Amino acid sequence: MTRTENQDVQDNIPPAADTAPSAAKHTAAAAKGLDGQSVLKRLQSELMSLMMCGDPGISAFPEGDNIFCWKGTITGSKDTVYVGMIYKLSFSFPTDYPFKPPKVKFETACFHPNVDIYGNICLDILQDKWSSAYDVRTILLSIQSLLGEPNNESPLNTQAAALWVNQEEFRKMVEKLYKPA
Amino acid sequence: MSDAEEAKATASSPSAAYPMAVDSLDDEVSSPFQCCVCLDILYKPVVLACGHISCFWCVHKAMHGLRASHCAICRQPYVHFPSICQLLHFLLLKLEPVAYKRREMEILVEEKAADVYSPQFADQLELEKLHFGNGSSSKKFNDCRSGDFERSDLSENCLDHTIKRNISVDDVSCSLCKEMLYQPAVLNCGHVYCVSCLSDLSGEHLQCQVCQSFHPGEFPNICLDLDHFLEEKFPREYAVRREQVQHKKAQCQHVNPSPNSVQKQKPMAQVPSGGMDLWLKEDVSDVHVGVGCDSCGIYPIIGKRYKCKDCKEAIGFDLCEACYNSTSKLPGRFNQQHTPDHAFELDESHMLRNILMQRDNRFDIPQQGLEVIYVPSDDDLHDHENHGDEGSGSEEELR
Repeated sequence: MTRTENQDVQDNIPPAADTAPSAAKHTAAAAKGLDGQSVLKRLQSELMSLMMCGDPGISAFPEGDNIFCWKGTITGSKDTVYVGMIYKLSFSFPTDYPFKPPKVKFETACFHPNVDIYGNICLDILQDKWSSAYDVRTILLSIQSLLGEPNNESPLNTQAAALWVNQEEFRKMVEKLYKPA
Repeated sequence: MSDAEEAKATASSPSAAYPMAVDSLDDEVSSPFQCCVCLDILYKPVVLACGHISCFWCVHKAMHGLRASHCAICRQPYVHFPSICQLLHFLLLKLEPVAYKRREMEILVEEKAADVYSPQFADQLELEKLHFGNGSSSKKFNDCRSGDFERSDLSENCLDHTIKRNISVDDVSCSLCKEMLYQPAVLNCGHVYCVSCLSDLSGEHLQCQVCQSFHPGEFPNICLDLDHFLEEKFPREYAVRREQVQHKKAQCQHVNPSPNSVQKQKPMAQVPSGGMDLWLKEDVSDVHVGVGCDSCGIYPIIGKRYKCKDCKEAIGFDLCEACYNSTSKLPGRFNQQHTPDHAFELDESHMLRNILMQRDNRFDIPQQGLEVIYVPSDDDLHDHENHGDEGSGSEEELR
């Protein structure tokens, strides 16, 4: 057996949002990809369970009509320097999701050792430790816990990593750079 | 980090995912057999050595084309793509005929589009299905969504009926002791045994008593989802079986202290060319990226790869060296029409070696050509170069 992967591998750009009724559009987008239908179904299941479980401090929803692009929010947990802050994130799902992780970025500037100035996140489960059993909810919870427990061994933001020991100063920087949308 | 636990928690709450807005899921009844990857009812279930179940395609698509794969739930590494567990397949078909048939239709559409098929099983239940009257035509699953709802109410009633009438201890019996499975474990070939029966088997390699194929790698873990299902479904029989097994164990220990437990702990000897030890080899240049053995299921093939010259399917038919040299040739993993008179050729393409050499020579990597089967990230290639140089990194990967 030789695996022939989804022809759409290069085609990671999600279909452009348009004004067509969402149901019709989804089918059109899905028909394109080999796994289109199953990706769609899985994302719908995730959306439904996210809405049902109502975890405090996290939320996510597709952006407009395009179910391959989501916007999420994380509220900083108490007992962390991020308490009370609300951060926006963007999710972009590949057509072979969940076998490949989504691309997740901070939309709100976040001063954190493992987040760079462009919002890129360094988190193992979004890279080599990804598992197809993870979902949007587990990603959001992981990022939420990453906020309070950074990995200072491999920082993207060295300044933040260096400052982490001084939580008071760190909090000041977090507040200074926090620009809610 | 408790990600794995998180994932487990999400995966084990099927009820949350079921009341879906999707019309096609209306016919769903909440099931203990949900796949944590597609979040739907398991279809053609495959049980990994760690005891976790996923759908055939959900396992295969998640496997790593270049090195050992990891269970999506517990991360236990594995290199063999197990065969479908037919016991579970037919159990699910009986338990949730409506949902299972819907899945069959959906997957078939995808398989047709990709021109790659999962193994097809003779539908022994086609006839039985008629008994509870929801199996007249497969078209039903596609058209008239609104009608579906009423019918699903109806079939749910039938279903309750069906479970009581149709699922019997015979559907879930051990291939060895012929009694109801107690603490079931599934071998790489997909056959199911009680763990206690498996550990009674003597011999250097764990060999399936049904199909005679060797089980590569670790002694399989108990498939807990199936075990819990049995305990719930057949509480009386389950209690009896538990007592039997415990009694037997106690007797064994009385006569000869701990032969049983020793055997159980004994790491299973590797089948020739079998398992993880290959991953500790320093030379990675003979890894056949994205190519698996259609007999034992090792994926990717390391070492010699024999390609069938006569199979016409796009997916091809390949064997690893050990399976090529052995007499038992199972049918292909993807429903290929392979027969014993087909001729084989040794694959000499050395794709990975060529790529690595090109990299060393600072040529451009032919990304385009590679993407057809697998998209290695830069890290992957680095990883493997390092392994080639030092041979120490691969050990790390297995932990």
